[in-house]
Amino acid sequence: MDLRPAEVTSILKKEIESYQGETSMQSVGTVLSVGDGVSRVYGLDDCMMNELLEFPGGVRGVALNLEEDNVGCVLLGDATKVKEGDEVRSTGRIISVPTGDQLLGRVVNALGDPIDGKGPLGTSDSDLRPIEQPAPSVVERQPVDQPMQTGIKAIDAMIPIGRGQRELIIGDRQTGKTALLIDTILSQKTTGGGDPKNPEQVLCIYVAVGQKQSTVVDVVRRLEENGAMQYTIVVSASANDEASMQYLACYAGASMGERFRDEGRHVVIMYDDLYKQALAYRQVMLLLRRPPGREAFPGDVFNLHSRLLERAAKLADNAPEINPRYKAGGGTMTALPVVETQEGDVSAYIPTNVISITDGQIFLESNLFNSGVRPAVNAGISVSRVGGAAQIPAMKKSAGGLRINLAQYRELQAFAQFGSDLDASTQATLNRGEKLVELLKQGQYAPVPVEEQVMMMHAAGAGCLDKIPTDRVLEFEKLFLQHMRDAKPEIGQSILDTGKLGDDGKAAIEAEAETVKGQMGL
Amino acid sequence: MIVDPVTARWADALFELAQDKGALDEVSRDVERIAVEVGTPEVAAFLFDARVPSEEKAKRVGELTSGFHRLTANFVALLFDKNRELVLRGLGTAFKDRVLSSRGAVEGRVESARPLGSGELAELAISLGSKLGKEVLLENVVQPGLVGGVRVFVAGKLIDYSVQGRLAGMRRKLLDARLPVGN
Repeated sequence: MDLRPAEVTSILKKEIESYQGETSMQSVGTVLSVGDGVSRVYGLDDCMMNELLEFPGGVRGVALNLEEDNVGCVLLGDATKVKEGDEVRSTGRIISVPTGDQLLGRVVNALGDPIDGKGPLGTSDSDLRPIEQPAPSVVERQPVDQPMQTGIKAIDAMIPIGRGQRELIIGDRQTGKTALLIDTILSQKTTGGGDPKNPEQVLCIYVAVGQKQSTVVDVVRRLEENGAMQYTIVVSASANDEASMQYLACYAGASMGERFRDEGRHVVIMYDDLYKQALAYRQVMLLLRRPPGREAFPGDVFNLHSRLLERAAKLADNAPEINPRYKAGGGTMTALPVVETQEGDVSAYIPTNVISITDGQIFLESNLFNSGVRPAVNAGISVSRVGGAAQIPAMKKSAGGLRINLAQYRELQAFAQFGSDLDASTQATLNRGEKLVELLKQGQYAPVPVEEQVMMMHAAGAGCLDKIPTDRVLEFEKLFLQHMRDAKPEIGQSILDTGKLGDDGKAAIEAEAETVKGQMGL
Repeated sequence: MIVDPVTARWADALFELAQDKGALDEVSRDVERIAVEVGTPEVAAFLFDARVPSEEKAKRVGELTSGFHRLTANFVALLFDKNRELVLRGLGTAFKDRVLSSRGAVEGRVESARPLGSGELAELAISLGSKLGKEVLLENVVQPGLVGGVRVFVAGKLIDYSVQGRLAGMRRKLLDARLPVGN
């Protein structure tokens, strides 16, 4: 951090000169009880829901239960400093977080305070936004039609995600959920060159809820190494933070994202993960004595997630005319919530809730992961309900048969295990499927740009891979794409510019594929 | 003292009944007497100890309430019948609050660095009263830590005119000041 001491003095002088000791009337209450991160406060008659409260010693709290003679609140800080009989003051302010460009490249906690040791954010009071905001209404939205490229072949080709969509990423522990998110962040570099000032740049917000601190550090390091941190905000409420911080972090991240969305920019926000958030919420609510429901979650656990995910949207172009709260139209916020399942059980309470809220899910399976199919996307039960409209035409055409081919392959694969007497067409389907499965494998931190995905998908669809031994498919891919970049850069460029792959392009791809195969000695 | 809702309801009932029967002054005096008695540790230890049988408590309390107005005596006896003797603990405060609010008055506390004169106190009470639309009865507490000025707690509100409060406000403001951060 580079602080200029001379300027600090002059700023402090200015503050002192303009300081007016406002004497406002504040509501005060008395702490009745405190423990386990929650407190009951007597008094505070005109307290608002979600109001920020000040406890002695600089500890803050949020009012959640407004009852006849007391206020139940969660503490956002060191509860050991608070004792019975302490004076509690209301602030008249709903809990808010700083938002804006200054947060990009930073790691903050659920209250928006920086925790990366890089000094203050430098935001002003006007940058504060309440963490709970109503989602855009029906007229303020428009259908999702722009692609949000993840750079992951299996997803962009089969389960495309559009800007403003909510796509759930679901799977057991250790199936590559977080890795998928990091790859998505890295891939956004292609949208605006990684320059946060570029209005085309898709900004990223990674909300880590209940994660190990070491995991968060690792994510930040990966992003920094790949030059992706400059357009990313990391909101961290790790496992050792208070449960209240863990459940609020998602809303804080959403408010930071909405700021950009409302300015007409594009954001993708990742909640990693919502199951842990629900656990944190359950803890707080049980301590506040709200009645438990199924699996002891409070009754509003569905709303907890639906109101959060509903804030992801693609704003209408004329949104500012409808509601002056929006500075520009056309902005999007894409949500990629993560839910961890136990033993692949997608029919548990929280997973079914979030599946029903989102516009599709990407199911990661540990069997696939362990058999070397990485990313371990199960193409059979993964869907994207709105993303199809957001795929570029070239991709839609090239990858159109992919799902069916894979489905046929899986079906025949089961039969093929019993007998060796297979007719030619069955063998062809099996062969094609094998190559496709191999083609969809992808290393970590290696997103593939969309135009290269289109070329590969077209080559695969045209049967160029059928004669290549399965273990050499990825080698072919590497050589082929390199060859296309060197020899025919205009094809990739035209896919990017027009979104289409013409007949000339198709022929060229097939011809070049043969050339590369020749080079490989096939 | 914090009044729980149960005590407040019992106090309400007693107050309204006393007012209807025109016995407010006597009942108030009785309640004050109860508050003083309950406030002494020996009596409290006896009354609120679960090991003491209810009949024993009722008998002793009956001796105390023999000189009371009929309403107060009945009230106390009913409390023991309903096993609500804990209401006695906060009764004094609850009843006083009720009497004050029926007059449109509130009690408040003024903290000041030095003792306030009665003139100053009255002036403050009048200006606060006009702001709140209520009659304000103030009690002065000396808090040298305030350095100067006053701090008023009234009707669940805090009005901070003290030097200490202003210093704390300034401290917060300076800590929140936007600092020039270079990259």
